[in-house]
Amino acid sequence: MSIAAANGLSRSSRIAPTTVMAFVLVLGLLFHANAADSTVQVQLDSKNTGPRAIESATERGIVRDYRGAWTSMAEALEFNTLDPLDGPFTGDAKRLLRDTVASQEKSGLRRKYLDQNHKLEAVFYAPEGDVIELHDTAEYQLQVLDGDKLIENERVTLHYVVLMTPSADRWMVRHMQAVSQF
Amino acid sequence: MRRLLICVAVCLVQACSAQSTDISAPASVVAGDEATLSTTGSGRASFYLLGPGISRKSDVALGQAIQLHAQDLRNAGAYLAILCSDTCHRATFYVNAAKPTSLTFVVHPSRVPVKLNDAVSGVAFPFDQFHNLALRPVTVDFQLTEGNASLFSRAVRAQDGIAWFRTTSGKSAGALQVVAAIDDLSVRRVVQQVASDPCNLRIKGQRTAAGILVETEPVHDCSGNPVSDGTMVTFTATDASGKSTVDAPIKQGVARAQMTASTAAVISVASGVVMGNELRVGARP
Repeated sequence: MSIAAANGLSRSSRIAPTTVMAFVLVLGLLFHANAADSTVQVQLDSKNTGPRAIESATERGIVRDYRGAWTSMAEALEFNTLDPLDGPFTGDAKRLLRDTVASQEKSGLRRKYLDQNHKLEAVFYAPEGDVIELHDTAEYQLQVLDGDKLIENERVTLHYVVLMTPSADRWMVRHMQAVSQF
Repeated sequence: MRRLLICVAVCLVQACSAQSTDISAPASVVAGDEATLSTTGSGRASFYLLGPGISRKSDVALGQAIQLHAQDLRNAGAYLAILCSDTCHRATFYVNAAKPTSLTFVVHPSRVPVKLNDAVSGVAFPFDQFHNLALRPVTVDFQLTEGNASLFSRAVRAQDGIAWFRTTSGKSAGALQVVAAIDDLSVRRVVQQVASDPCNLRIKGQRTAAGILVETEPVHDCSGNPVSDGTMVTFTATDASGKSTVDAPIKQGVARAQMTASTAAVISVASGVVMGNELRVGARP
């Protein structure tokens, strides 16, 4: 054990500082990605959906992809970048988010969605399984920043009507609209 | 002491003015309409508007109304108005979808056999001119017609921005017109109805120099629709030497095959899961 440790130490002392920095950076990114995922909690209630019943594999896919969509949206609106929107969003939802990012970038604003908790209810699943409507009661900490200045920091609860459609390998958010109540 | 009193007075004035700064918004706005936010207080402040598709910042005078233009409020959803002078104050409001001006109408399948239960379905989503989902209940009229005959007609109240139907396909092969309408707004889709499985499959045959020529009578489904060309029909000849099979597609309503049996044979026919009659042909003279 001690020999291995000693060997390890002697080896690490010969590694270039840039390699160590790259390793730390990769570890940091991995940790960041996991942390971002863990802050988005999603539960789906599909008891009252119809006319088609949701298969359990579909249910798992929707939860996974909806969580991914919010993780990506949060990243896009925090860092004003469009790349995270390419996978999980399509149609009107993608267009609106792109507009939001462009608008934020222009005005120097950013939004942070922290500690998210989404309670989803599937209210409609089309007979052919090609569209699902969800009601999301979303609770999160919303922060708005003007440059680095925090101008809003509030715990909010919002209601979203969401349309998701399947693509080749995932469910995509096609439409997302906040409403005052369901 | 005098300086201290002045400081306290200044602080009190600042506190009072900070408390009096506020912003209020209407509870809801219709997409594409203008709106007015009222503010209280005096001096200048930064105003932020954040909503779906919009994030903007401007300088405003406190105590005066803030006009929100129609183009800022085209997207339905939750909006956050923030007013910052010494401290920040917020107001939230919702923009609701306007009157529906378009229908997204998805119909399945594009091709369907006749008289199949719950085979045709359609889902309609009403949207306003800004692509917001119209969530207020509206009635969508679904009409299905084959030829000039009405097959199905139903008025469905849209719930949560969705109206849908499901029904049995019609009796006749050909185009099934499917229409969804809200008032004078309508969208049309076409489903191709094709013949169902063959019904009363019958064959006739005769011995020729080369063997036995067998052919079906014109192949129809149980509603009398000609079964589509290209549908495969299987002929099986059983004679003393064993069994031989020929697959032939229907061409112009009839399937034909040349069998090679030289002795007496029994020929049967099938298409999919449907069996036809048996034909007995004597040995070559």
